Amino acid sequence: MRQPRLRRSMTAFVALVAAAALTACGGSGSGTDSGKDSLEAPGAEVLEKATDKTTIEFWHGMKGANAAAIDKLVADFNAQSGGKVEVKAIFQGNYDETIAKYKASVQQKNTPALVQIYDIGSRFMVDSKQTVPMYKFIDKDKFNAGDIEPNIANYYSIDGKLQSMPFNTSTPLLYLNKEAFVRAGFDPTKPPQNLDEIGEMAKKLTVKDAGGKTVQYGFGAAIYGWLVEQLIATDGKEYCDNGNGRKGLATKVQFDQETGVRVAQWWADLVKGGYATNTGRKTDDAQAAFKAGTVAMHLESTGAMRGYIDAAKGKFTVLTAPYPKASSSATGGPIIGGASLWINGVGHSDKQKRAAWEFVKFASSAEQQAKWHTGTGYVPVNAKALDEQIDKDWVAKYPQFKTAVDQLHALPPSVASAGCLLGVMPQARKASEDGLEAAIVGSKPADQAMKDAAASVQAAIDSYNKSVS
Amino acid sequence: MVFALFVFWPLGRTLYLSVHGNDLFGAPSVYVGAEHYREMLTAEFGKVLATTGLFTLFSVVPAVLGALVVVLLLEARIRGVRVLRTAFALPFAFSVATASVVFAVIYNPAIGVANGLLGSLGIDRVNWLTDPSIALPAVCAATVWMNFGYNVLVLSAGVAAISPEVVEAARLDGATGWRLASRITVPLLSPQLFFLVVVSTIHALQSFGQIHILTKGGPDQATTTLVYSIYEKAFAFGSSDFGSASAQAVVLLVVMLGCTAVQFGILERRVHYR
Repeated sequence: MRQPRLRRSMTAFVALVAAAALTACGGSGSGTDSGKDSLEAPGAEVLEKATDKTTIEFWHGMKGANAAAIDKLVADFNAQSGGKVEVKAIFQGNYDETIAKYKASVQQKNTPALVQIYDIGSRFMVDSKQTVPMYKFIDKDKFNAGDIEPNIANYYSIDGKLQSMPFNTSTPLLYLNKEAFVRAGFDPTKPPQNLDEIGEMAKKLTVKDAGGKTVQYGFGAAIYGWLVEQLIATDGKEYCDNGNGRKGLATKVQFDQETGVRVAQWWADLVKGGYATNTGRKTDDAQAAFKAGTVAMHLESTGAMRGYIDAAKGKFTVLTAPYPKASSSATGGPIIGGASLWINGVGHSDKQKRAAWEFVKFASSAEQQAKWHTGTGYVPVNAKALDEQIDKDWVAKYPQFKTAVDQLHALPPSVASAGCLLGVMPQARKASEDGLEAAIVGSKPADQAMKDAAASVQAAIDSYNKSVS
Repeated sequence: MVFALFVFWPLGRTLYLSVHGNDLFGAPSVYVGAEHYREMLTAEFGKVLATTGLFTLFSVVPAVLGALVVVLLLEARIRGVRVLRTAFALPFAFSVATASVVFAVIYNPAIGVANGLLGSLGIDRVNWLTDPSIALPAVCAATVWMNFGYNVLVLSAGVAAISPEVVEAARLDGATGWRLASRITVPLLSPQLFFLVVVSTIHALQSFGQIHILTKGGPDQATTTLVYSIYEKAFAFGSSDFGSASAQAVVLLVVMLGCTAVQFGILERRVHYR
């Protein structure tokens, strides 16, 4: 009791202080500048005419090596802007925390000019009506957006119009322990292509010691809703209704339909049979199991690859393969998510909006994306980045990464692999994890587990839709 | 004034939020009456309450009883007893976050110490935090360890405050060992014991850090206590359902008041104040 109450009063206190500070600075702001609250894209002239420096805040959710790469990107941008624009990058916690702080900043009318929001926050960002859609800047400048990977742009587009600029993107892969494959008599160049094949191979890849104790499991991955979303997409199925929430507001999730239930059943059977280990929801724990060599086949994002290769050095060889399909007849591919950049219109001057766009253009250029990609391991959102020399060198050093790029290029854009746009997508993902976990630990049959999970998020969907319509 | 600002205003605000809906950004919107309270009349919320009760029971009782046993044993005049006393009080020096991270490593299914020890005994690995029937006891065990040091400190101070004459008199009457402990020491420690039970119950009902770090309320909601449920409604997964969260916070307040009232009503009568 005391904790949340205290927190709330603290929030209020901070808000009071912030409000006081705002009123104090209000006078010195750009009174002559137009564009406050407009959601249109200003032209290049607003900055050219400006005599003073335009400063904008950029909120992001990256830490560690990724934060260092962002700071470098921002410093390079500031240096080349000739003193016209200064971007201040501010780390706001992980993606969930960043969107929570963004919501608070909207209430306090104190949003940053530029914010990085995860893929599953996209619908909320559109419905919040705070941002200038990216296509307006693109139209204004006749900017060539053709270099942006079509499958990535697809996620952030509604009716073919780009809402935000993709920034960092990861795609899921199947990771394999090469030596475990060889020991089991499998050809490591012929990885399993769908869930049934993984299930069959997992039986032979599970190894017990003399005492009957399992020392190596055939399969292991985190109970992570993202992986389920990807599997449903490979089956060409939509995760939520109304064309994955792109024709109109989605009114229900569909992970309780056939594919979702089949995935849960498949996973639960593997765990029950002793061929897969259940390390729970924490991706760290599932990663640790693969790094320790106790899991032969594993599903994770490209983002984990560097860590795997480093950890496996001297112990085993990490191989990557395209993400498995939900069935042998499935023809779709995974969803390309990640996070994107949103330019706030409400409460920002034309100069600030323009400055944010200049930074967005810079950040998505081939040269910067190559640096970003090699510094972080994310997939470059700009297709030309792969032609940059530093990128070629990097891919030569980590050939495992080529799987991700090939997978991305092989995928025909489709509604299923564009992913579901849903205002309460983070809660829907959590619900799918509830369902999957209930099936895996055997507390409910798979179909019932997924059905209950989908039902549990219905109230949140209804209330969200009510509040935006 | 300060009291009103930091206690009554937030409390009033919580009550206000608990009868209102939320807009897209979490700000209170329309009046919804008892809607958020009605939402709680589900089996899921019943499970949350049951989990809260079990968690409180199994983190308070072992920590208080265990500390009592240790303190009584430490009364024995053996060499190195001060070192032992310090060692037992040491968990007090750990913050919840630090201790939780340590336990997360201990419980790690693949590389954790707990499974390593079991493995060397030839026992198959246990899924400490991913098996719904084991996760709650595992989190309770971590909590007991965290609270142990404080309990040992309080009880040691209580024992030290017992006047030597009383103990001496009892010894002259022939009371030793178990008899001395049960008839003299424990009754004289009852104010400290009562204090610990009341305070650690409130503490347990408010526990958040260890659950957040170890299990995030899982697996299969097995460790979702009331406080964790409030957090999830208000802040987790991009949710900003402050209305439902506030309604649950009101329930938590009522539960806490109820527990404390019952403890004062039943236990305090048996407390022997000097």
